[in-house]
Amino acid sequence: MMKEHPPHAKTIEVRQSPGKSFLFALPMMLLTLMMMSGGKIPADPQRLFVFTVTYLFFNLLFFLMIHTGKTDRYRATAFITYAILFIVSFISHMFEARGSMSLSQEKILLCEVPFCHLVIPMTLIPAAFTKTIIFPGTITGGYASIASMFTIWIGASLSLGRGWCSWGCFFGGLDDAFSRILKKPVFRNINPRWTYLPWAVLLAVVLSAAAFLSPTYCTWLCPFKTVTEFEAVTSFKILVQTILFASLFIALVIVLPLLTKRRTQCSLFCPFGAMQGLTNRINAFDVRIDPDRCINCKRCVTACPTLSVTEESVRAGCPLISCMKCGTCMDVCPSGAVAFHVRGTPVAGNRNIKRMLFLYAAFLFLAIFSGGTIQDGLSRIIRLITTGSMI
Amino acid sequence: MKGFFLGLSSGAVCAAYCAPVLVPYLLGEGRSVLQNFLALLQFLLGRLLGYLSFAVFAWGIHTSLPQDIAHRNLLIGAAYVFLSGLLIFYSFFKAGRACPSAGGQEIDHRLRNSRPSLFLLSMGLATGLNFCPPFLLAVATAAEQASLLQSVLFFLTFFLGTSVFLIPAPFLGLLRGFSPLHVIGKMAAGLIGAYYLFIGATMLAGGFYR
Amino acid sequence: MKRALKIAGYTWAVACIVVVLATFVGNNYFSAKLASSTGITISPWFSGGEIVGSIDHATYKTVIHRPVFDGLIGERKEGFIQIEWQPVTALPLVIEDGIDFTGDGKEDFAFRLDTAAGRGTLTPRNPSVIAIQTLVKVNQGWVARIQLRKVS
Repeated sequence: MMKEHPPHAKTIEVRQSPGKSFLFALPMMLLTLMMMSGGKIPADPQRLFVFTVTYLFFNLLFFLMIHTGKTDRYRATAFITYAILFIVSFISHMFEARGSMSLSQEKILLCEVPFCHLVIPMTLIPAAFTKTIIFPGTITGGYASIASMFTIWIGASLSLGRGWCSWGCFFGGLDDAFSRILKKPVFRNINPRWTYLPWAVLLAVVLSAAAFLSPTYCTWLCPFKTVTEFEAVTSFKILVQTILFASLFIALVIVLPLLTKRRTQCSLFCPFGAMQGLTNRINAFDVRIDPDRCINCKRCVTACPTLSVTEESVRAGCPLISCMKCGTCMDVCPSGAVAFHVRGTPVAGNRNIKRMLFLYAAFLFLAIFSGGTIQDGLSRIIRLITTGSMI
Repeated sequence: MKGFFLGLSSGAVCAAYCAPVLVPYLLGEGRSVLQNFLALLQFLLGRLLGYLSFAVFAWGIHTSLPQDIAHRNLLIGAAYVFLSGLLIFYSFFKAGRACPSAGGQEIDHRLRNSRPSLFLLSMGLATGLNFCPPFLLAVATAAEQASLLQSVLFFLTFFLGTSVFLIPAPFLGLLRGFSPLHVIGKMAAGLIGAYYLFIGATMLAGGFYR
Repeated sequence: MKRALKIAGYTWAVACIVVVLATFVGNNYFSAKLASSTGITISPWFSGGEIVGSIDHATYKTVIHRPVFDGLIGERKEGFIQIEWQPVTALPLVIEDGIDFTGDGKEDFAFRLDTAAGRGTLTPRNPSVIAIQTLVKVNQGWVARIQLRKVS
C-alpha cells in the first residue's frame, strides 16, 4: 500500500541556491583545473579551446548537479559523452598507429596491445600462481599499460567500489545511452535470474583463463571489441569469435538496452562489474533507502537501469550488490527516501554532506579520468571538420 | 598434478551440485562437528571407490583408441561434444534438480533404513559414479593417459582436488539458503559447455582447432 | 560507539577523495612501484619466453627463446619455441638455420625462411617438434613460433 508523502518531504530537499551551489562547486573547479591542465594551460589555440570547452562542460554539469539536486541526469551526460569520445579517440589512435582497427599478429607478438580493465579478473589467478600477466601488453610505459590500469582499478575500487560502472568505465556510457533513447520500454519484465549471469560469466572466464592461460573473455566474448580493436580474421576460429562478439555488441549494447531501458551489458553480462560488486565492500559509500521516508511507490524499482532495486531490497533498505551508484533511483524518488550514504553513519540525517562527499569522489574521478580522452576526441572531431580526416 | 588442479578448478561446481545431498544429511542428523567430519570421511571414501572404478574405465577407453592423430581427434572431439551437450543440458533443462546424483537417492533411502552404516558410503559412491560435468571432463582427460597406473593416479589427484571443496561441507549449512550459487553454477556450466562444444565440433570437423 | 563509527565513516569518505587524487597524480609512481614490488612480467605465452641463445651470422643473427610449456602450476604437454631473425634490413632472401634447443648438440629442427615470399619450411629432427604455429614479419625482423609437444 502506498503511503502519503511525509509532511517533512520539503526538508529533505538536496537542491541548493545558485550562490551556495557555486561555493560547493568551487573546490571542484580548482581541482579539475589543476588535474586537467597538469599545471600548464595549453598555449596552442586549438588545444586551449578544447581544454576550455571540456573544463566548462564538467564544471557546469557539477554545478547543475548541486543546484538541481539531480544526480543521474548530469552524470549520464558526462558519462555518455566520455564513452562516445573514447571511441572516437581510440579508433583514431588505432588508425594512426596501425592503419586499421584490426589487431595484427605482429602487435600481439610484440606485446603492444592496449590493456583494459575488463581483463583484470582473468589475470588474478595466473598472476598469483605464475607471477605473469596473461595479456600481450606492456607492464609499464606505452599506451594503456597493465600496471597503470591496475593502479586505476585499485584507486577506483577504494574510492567508488562498483560506482566505477557508472562513473569511470569508458564503455558503460554506450548501453547507458541506448537505454535512454525510448521513452517507455518495449519489454518490461526481465527474469531476475538473469542478474546472476555476470557471476556465471565471471566464474567461467576466471576458471577458463586460469586453465588455458589466455584472456578468454577478451578472445571470445568482449562486445566492445566491435568499437575498439579486434583480431584480423585469418582463420575459422577468429571468424567464430568475431561473429560472437559482434552479435553480443548488437544484442547487449544496442538492441536490449533500447527495448528494455536497462543497461543490459553492464548488469546482465559484464564479469568485471560482477567483480566490482565484491570490491565495493572496501568502499565508503553505498545507497540506502530510508524506510521512514519511503512511500512504497516503486518508482525506483521501475527506473533502476541495472535491476538493482527490487521490492525486497526496498524492504531491506538497500539496493542489491549490483548497484552502480548511478543516482537514477534518487532522481525519481518523490519522497527523497533514496540517498547516497556513508558506511558507519546513520541512514537519516546529513544527507547533503554524504551526497557531496560521494559526488566529489565520483565526479572528480570521472572528470580526471575522462578529461584527456574527451579533449582528444574533440580535437579529432575538429580536425575532421577542418581537414576531412581524424588522423 | 593436472588431475588435482582440474579437480580444484571444477570443484566449486562439484560443491554447488553435490553439497545439497550431503549437507542436509549432516544437518538432519544434528551431530557434533567432529562426528560430521567422520561422516564426511565415509562419504569421501565412497566417492574415492567410485572414482577409482572410473579410472579403470577411462584406461579402457585409452587402450581402445587408435594411435593416429586424426582418429584420436575424432574420438576426443566426440567426447568433448558429448560433454558439452551434458553441460548445456544440465544448465538449461535440469534447472530444478539439485544434483545429478539425485536418481541414486532412492537406493540410498532403502539402505538408510536397512544398513545405516553403509548409507554414507553408498551416497559417496553414487556421487562418485555419476556423470556430473566436471567428472566427465576428467574422464576425457584421463582417456589420454598412457597406462592404467597413470589413469588411476589422475583420478586419485582429481578426487583430492574436488574433495578440497567438500571438506568444509559440515559448515556449508550456512550457505544452503544461498540459492543463487546453484543458478550461477548452472549458468557457468552452460557457458563452459558452449566453449567445449566449439572445441569438440572443430576437432570433429577436421582437427583444425588451434 | 556510534559516534566513533560516524567519525570513522566520514574520515573514510574524505579519504576516498584523496585516493582519487592520488590515483591520478601518482599513477606513474604507483605503476612503477606495483611492477617492481610484485616482479610481475608478461606471460611467456605472449612474450615468447626468455632469450636463451643466439646464432651470429655475418650480417644478421638468429635469436632463440626458451621452449614454453608453462602451465598454471607445473608444465603443459603442448608448447612452443620462438625464433627470431634480425635485423630486417640485413636479412638474406633465404635463411636456413638448424636449431638445437635441447642443448644436446643435436639439431632439433631445421628451418628455411624465404623472406621474399614470407614462407617458412620446417624440418623436424626431434619427435617433439610438430609444426609452424606462427610466422610473422615484425619491424625488427621475422618471428616464428614452432609448436612443440612433450614426448613421454
